[in-house]
Amino acid sequence: MSLPDRIDPRPPRRIYRWDLDKTYLQTDFESLRDLFRTAFQKAHEKVAVPGASALIRELAEQGDSRLCIVSGSPKQMRAVLEEKLKLDGVQWDEFVLKDNVGNLLRGRFRALRGQVGYKLPAILESRVNAPVEAEEVLFGDDAEADAFIYSLYADLIAGRVDERVLSQVLEAGGVYPDDAARVHEAWKKIPIADPVRRIFIHLDKLTPPAHFTPYGPRVVPIFNYFQAALVLLADGHLTAPQVLKIAVEMVQTAGHNIITLSNSFQDLLRRGLPLQQAAIALSQAMEGPNALLKAMRPMPDILAAFSKRLAALGTQPPPPRVQAVDYVSLISHALPRTHKGRTLKPPT
Amino acid sequence: MVGKPQHITIAFDVMGSDHGPAEVVRGAAQLSLESPHIHALLVGDRPVIDEALAGIKHNGERISVHHAGDYVGMDEKPGEALARKPESSVAVAARLVAEGEAHALVSAGNTGAGVLACKRHFQLIPGVRRAALATVYPTRGVRGAKQDPFSLILDVGATVEATAEDLVAFAVMGSAYARIISRNERPKVALLSNGVEPQKGPPRVVEAHQRLSQMPGLNFTGNVEGIDIPRGTVDVIVTDGFVGNVCLKMLEGVHDTVMELAQYAYKESLRWRAGLAMLSSGIERLKDITDWEQYGGAPILGFDRIFIKAHGRSKARAIANAGKVAAKAVANELGTAIQEGLAK
Repeated sequence: MSLPDRIDPRPPRRIYRWDLDKTYLQTDFESLRDLFRTAFQKAHEKVAVPGASALIRELAEQGDSRLCIVSGSPKQMRAVLEEKLKLDGVQWDEFVLKDNVGNLLRGRFRALRGQVGYKLPAILESRVNAPVEAEEVLFGDDAEADAFIYSLYADLIAGRVDERVLSQVLEAGGVYPDDAARVHEAWKKIPIADPVRRIFIHLDKLTPPAHFTPYGPRVVPIFNYFQAALVLLADGHLTAPQVLKIAVEMVQTAGHNIITLSNSFQDLLRRGLPLQQAAIALSQAMEGPNALLKAMRPMPDILAAFSKRLAALGTQPPPPRVQAVDYVSLISHALPRTHKGRTLKPPT
Repeated sequence: MVGKPQHITIAFDVMGSDHGPAEVVRGAAQLSLESPHIHALLVGDRPVIDEALAGIKHNGERISVHHAGDYVGMDEKPGEALARKPESSVAVAARLVAEGEAHALVSAGNTGAGVLACKRHFQLIPGVRRAALATVYPTRGVRGAKQDPFSLILDVGATVEATAEDLVAFAVMGSAYARIISRNERPKVALLSNGVEPQKGPPRVVEAHQRLSQMPGLNFTGNVEGIDIPRGTVDVIVTDGFVGNVCLKMLEGVHDTVMELAQYAYKESLRWRAGLAMLSSGIERLKDITDWEQYGGAPILGFDRIFIKAHGRSKARAIANAGKVAAKAVANELGTAIQEGLAK
């Protein structure tokens, strides 16, 4: 871990944990050629997922949050990744990268591709020092095992997973004994609390949303960060003007438009997320002291389209069912992408 | 008339196809992955659509849903069904297109209900008295920049009795469609008759021949006979809805009979089976070339909005292709092209 980009002595009220590749950065590593190109890209050549940097900046605006990044990229890329974050105006508090060279030299080949043995101890160790009341929102993607690891992390610190299940999962996930020991050790130091509010999964590979149903409504698959902003507005992490600013940036810099944003809004409604109040708040944000936002074209048209999309649905679907997560049966989601036991079939 | 939009929204009537709503949803989902400039508006029973969509790969930014609680079944009488079910998916979809919420309509449901819904909600293009239902059929020849093996025949059932004026309008509409969709710069257009001579056929066909011969912008080649349909002598064949429908059904019947005969041969004799096996790669190639699913659907021409009627048996690929054909017709302003053609 390097020195944080900022040192804030105040205890954080909120912690935002981010993955980097395919969550914050648009990264291709499907082929060896892509992997090679990604490794040698300069900071200014790297491209953030539309809206991601704007969302991070707006979340930091309150001044009482902490940004913790845990990425599977190798430590050798630290300088270029830090430079990229600085170019985007993103300030972080923790930035953990994977010691792939160390794993290679020690012959730990499973650890090169495995995610559970890397990310789970890293985020648990980070939580050890966090105030018990600090709530968390986690951001990952559908390329690896983020939904599984983040959900397991949330349920571990909330006391919903027992030691027997944890041991079974770590064994099935091919986690090396020393990493498993780190998981157990960090977990035991964390006081029981239920701080994880949301887990956003950026659908980089456009995995069907139903694939994440077994993780319950805490996990929200998103096609873009405007969707995350809408949910965070409903959850009280962002204000309506902040969401409008994120939307405007996505329109101005990433080619989003009235259709993509209103479709994104309706997509969440159809999945049972209660966003009606958020839509009202957005409309109200255009009035009074924020009337300037009206000038932010095409926001008034987009909000009008929201009403149409809402009306088009008829009755609102019921919210998704809360259920216990069966980690042992879901372990195949957490295996490396090329593992023969990996399955991405939607639940039946 | 709709101008040339940057992003094109296609309304899909999700209900009423032979394979059920999930297949249409799969087609729209496929479209959302393949064509960034096309947005799908799925009209139908929302819970059914949501369930189908959640389990398949799609791009949620390019899909929206409009709930319609009713639908017209394949075996229902169109007029009665639409009167009884004003909120049926095809009626709601046509209304949304007319209101500007989408640029075109695709339906794999009841053809009559689709045409009737369009008649109620769309306007006829100035100069067009009656709409025409067109269809594509595989031929021996290829045409246009796409080396398209399909020819267009219209009308195949929308207007049972057409006047000479109607036949002229059909010729202009078919020519504009072939030019835009098949990228065939000067499609050959002919009238279907009982002889190639200009004076052959009923009075309306003779009169239409006379008028079409004098139209400067049209590549009118005269009359063709039934035998020329599968030969692909021309790119667009014009006839009235009664004759066109009889021809279409006969072509389908011949196709089905050939398939049945092949199955009979396969079962009947080992030597015939061996012969068919030796021909199998050629037959597969022939199937690929004449695969109607690649064409997606057939247009209803004459309205100010686009309606593509996909085959009732359409699978996801055909539905996606129907969406692409509709988007292409919108992007190339088919309605304007028809209007300009009629003005010449």
